[in-house]
Amino acid sequence: MLPAFTYARATSVADAVRRLAAPGARLHAGGTDLLGCLHDGVFAAGTVVSVSRMKELRGIAPIAGGGLRIGALATHAEIAADKGIAASYRALAEAATSVGSPQLRNRGTIGGNLCQRPRCWYFRGEFHCLRKGGDMCYALGGENENHAILGGGACVVVHPSDTAPALVALGARVRIAGPGGTRVVPLESFFVGPDKTVTKENILERNEIVTEVLLPPAEPGLRSTYRKVRARGAWDFSLAGVAVALLARDGRVERARVAFSGVAPVPWRSQEVERAITGKALTPDVVGAAAEAGVKGAQPLEKNGYKVPLLRGVIAETLLSMA
Amino acid sequence: MTPDDRYYVTDVPPETPEPAEQPAPWTATTVVGRPLPRIDAYDRLSGNAIFTADVLLPGMLYGAILRCPHAHATVKKVDTSKAEKMPGVVAVLTDRTPGADIPWYNTRAGALSRLFDPHCRYEGEEVAAVAAETPYQAWDAVRAIAADYDVLPFVSDPAKALAEGAAVIHDGGNRSGEVSRYSRGDVDAGFAAADVVLEQTYSTACEIHAPTETHASVARWDGSRLVVWDSTQGVYPIQSGLMATLKLPASSVRVIGSYMGGGFGSKLSLSKHTVIAALLAKMAARPVKIHLTREESFLAVGNRPPDRMTVKAGVKKDGTLTALQLAVLGTGGAYPGGGVGGVDWVFRDLYTCPNVKSEMTDVFINAGQARAFRAPGHPQGAWALEQMMDALADKIGMDPVELRLKNVPSVSQGRGGLPYTTTGLKACLEDGARRFGWQEARRRSTADGPIRRGVGVAAGLWQGGAGGPPSTIIVKLFADGSANLNMGASDIGTGTKTIQAMIVSEELGVPLDRIQVEWADTATTQYATESGGSKTVPTESPATRAAALDVKQQLLAMAAAQLKTNADDLALKDGEIVSAADPSRKLAVTGLTALRGRGLVVGVGYRGPNPAGKVTCPFGAHFAEVEVNTRTGQVRILRYLAAQDSGRAMNDLTFENQTQGGITMGVGLALTEERILDGNQTGKMVNRNWHDYQVPTAMDVPAEQVVLPIDLHDQQANSVGAKGLGEPATVPAAPAVANAIYHACGVRAAETPVNPRRLLSLLAASKQRG
Repeated sequence: MLPAFTYARATSVADAVRRLAAPGARLHAGGTDLLGCLHDGVFAAGTVVSVSRMKELRGIAPIAGGGLRIGALATHAEIAADKGIAASYRALAEAATSVGSPQLRNRGTIGGNLCQRPRCWYFRGEFHCLRKGGDMCYALGGENENHAILGGGACVVVHPSDTAPALVALGARVRIAGPGGTRVVPLESFFVGPDKTVTKENILERNEIVTEVLLPPAEPGLRSTYRKVRARGAWDFSLAGVAVALLARDGRVERARVAFSGVAPVPWRSQEVERAITGKALTPDVVGAAAEAGVKGAQPLEKNGYKVPLLRGVIAETLLSMA
Repeated sequence: MTPDDRYYVTDVPPETPEPAEQPAPWTATTVVGRPLPRIDAYDRLSGNAIFTADVLLPGMLYGAILRCPHAHATVKKVDTSKAEKMPGVVAVLTDRTPGADIPWYNTRAGALSRLFDPHCRYEGEEVAAVAAETPYQAWDAVRAIAADYDVLPFVSDPAKALAEGAAVIHDGGNRSGEVSRYSRGDVDAGFAAADVVLEQTYSTACEIHAPTETHASVARWDGSRLVVWDSTQGVYPIQSGLMATLKLPASSVRVIGSYMGGGFGSKLSLSKHTVIAALLAKMAARPVKIHLTREESFLAVGNRPPDRMTVKAGVKKDGTLTALQLAVLGTGGAYPGGGVGGVDWVFRDLYTCPNVKSEMTDVFINAGQARAFRAPGHPQGAWALEQMMDALADKIGMDPVELRLKNVPSVSQGRGGLPYTTTGLKACLEDGARRFGWQEARRRSTADGPIRRGVGVAAGLWQGGAGGPPSTIIVKLFADGSANLNMGASDIGTGTKTIQAMIVSEELGVPLDRIQVEWADTATTQYATESGGSKTVPTESPATRAAALDVKQQLLAMAAAQLKTNADDLALKDGEIVSAADPSRKLAVTGLTALRGRGLVVGVGYRGPNPAGKVTCPFGAHFAEVEVNTRTGQVRILRYLAAQDSGRAMNDLTFENQTQGGITMGVGLALTEERILDGNQTGKMVNRNWHDYQVPTAMDVPAEQVVLPIDLHDQQANSVGAKGLGEPATVPAAPAVANAIYHACGVRAAETPVNPRRLLSLLAASKQRG
């Protein structure tokens, strides 16, 4: 049952930013994550500041001079159905399609998907864990089958987003609006891991909002894909996933960007895999070596050792599908 | 506890008057058996159907329950002073409230607990309750109750429950009941006579029933009489539970069932929230609704017990089974919940085997009490036995269908060799294999590459499924030729109402849209046992047929008087009564003067006894083809066939629906579902929500599901020839999938659920072994 809160509909981005400065204010867009968090008592909200009807945050449109602008309120369903995205940024279309269920894809937004809170069942449950201001990470010594094998530390959540690794692979940037105006940052540097902080997952301050996602112009020949493994065929988060964007010339990979879902507290860019395939043809041997490079340094916990062969397997499958 | 104990009154023999004579079996039917849509389909789909969760009464309050957040704790203090002053709060109930001192979890040795017992033995145990004007106010008030707990050590692993130093859940220790033992023949001699002996430990995870409609009750007092709307599988057991706990006569407790959104065994008997609603309603002098949240339903209203099963089996090269030995460790949670009940039944009864021995140990852990769950114990036992059969077949180089066919029994060995009225096990295996294309599919399987394909078979039976007395049904035929069917049974989503109406239509020729059904209300319908145990169709149908025939006899007598002929000469067909000797002498039912004069004819039907000295059981065999991705551990079920012998298929469409539901639940057991307790730290359930507790979705079940009714009319069993279906339809499903996984990739998945985590670990281990 939802606890009590005040609801305010922001009239503009500036209005939203102003209202978010109030203590306990929370941003509402699609609500698919926010309402669940409130319902489960993950955090409370004094005021829920809704931007859900703000037209200027919607829409998917080409940018003059190249590239694509996706408004933060674009839904997964809209992104999955967009012909331009399917043609030029396939990984993003595939990632959006793999999110949740039809209902969640109809309501959930790309901005919300990037800013959602982790799905760790201790964080979501009645456990006063480190990420909620407590003094221990229950997953470290507990039921950690779904947790991180890369980039963990004091907290071993995995980042739940599917679209984030696809966008990292595609070199996307996000525009952030705050009290001082807006700034644009590469998505890769938007996320922060437990080495920096365990109480949030990105660089946003409380009164900042992601307003749009900016994709660079799709170079001719750019191919991309996202593959996600989950325990259930729908309505499930990634156990391990791989997004790849690459340019090949004469059968060899010229440039590649690779990012993982489901294995680290942030969408995990793997320069190890990128290096292992750059300049090479995606032969089974090269792919095998790349998969091995991708899991190098993995530190499985007691119950998630399977994620090492799983990640290796998804990397191999994904790269072979691009060969 | 055997499944039978859960579904029947056991201290007295069931009793309803025997019909004067059993009607002859149907030779041909015109309505029964057809694939007809449910008579209430429109109401269900349009939203007209009122479920308990939908009930809204004038002045109704909403109740909410404070539950213990710890796996094991004692309540030191409950301070409700703040909650009582909160807006909208009308009543607050605690252990100290007069009248709340109600014993709970009754055993022969006495009650183990009470309604709000300060010793909380599982996460989710009830501590206090509130009624308020809105659900939000009720929950805000529950959150404002200050409860102090002494957190106690807990045990959540059944294997550790009996260990030295384990947390003590009950004064008598953590053993739940006596060790259950069964033995026939001499297993040691059997193993000595075998050419191959295999031993393996299998285990099944704890599953939650997860019905679409969570448990809900609405209570209203009319003076000293209590009316309860309840989402239940049986209004009469709820009534008797309320009578016992509130010390009221039957005449003062009315329970209304109406529509309900699934139970699967979790809604067979009285739950605490129903009594809490009644007590709050009394305190407030206003109706109170309690509709459990999804999270509460994961903790406090039942589950399928987890079982660990060690199997030793012997077989001769020719496929003759020589011995089966089973040791089970299970748990029904913190109170007696039948943690091992029914697990060994398939070992005792499914295949011919002279030497069988089982030993089953049930222990307490700090978790919610188990309840009957679709074929209690049987899917667990089948998970072990049917994989073992597969392994034996593999070892002796015999086709797994052939090994099973070699051991089809004609008698119930678990019941001392009594013959079955019918057994369709052979037909399920043979016809199923033929329709599935078993031989070809086995040859088609792939053994190299990362994606492997394989097929698997498993068989099963259900210990119950015969139905039996008591049941009383009333059929009324009105002067305009329309009819009313009055039965106490619940329709738990299986099509009971539709099937009973079809029987009336069959006998009286009344079209289905002119038959109204009243059901599941202790004030207005007749006594019925709960809809559980796959017994509703075989229990209620013969009584319905008898009631319809009673109406028919009266109509024929009226017609005989009016036509001045002998009733023996008359037959009822298509709304007309016709003389056999002179077909020109006929009369429309609506033209019967006596019927018009009286306004209606009332027919009463009773369920007679089952045939003495015989056993009636449903059987099934399932076939699955899967694809295993050895890189990712993902399993995709490509196609599926379920052959079911449940006697006469009363309605091919509901038959198919029921079986598909059974397959889906079996897929959940095999691949996705598992209650996960935080065993190292708190004992709390970590996945008590819809996305972490993974019920299969449409994407997880095979797109191609063929349901093959064997339609073997069981003329000895009862007057309609039907046996139960709901439970047998899920028994073989999980091992059929596991056997297909083995066939595909050579890995024996002994533990459920076989998700990427388990399968990749097994594949890695098998790779290491080479």
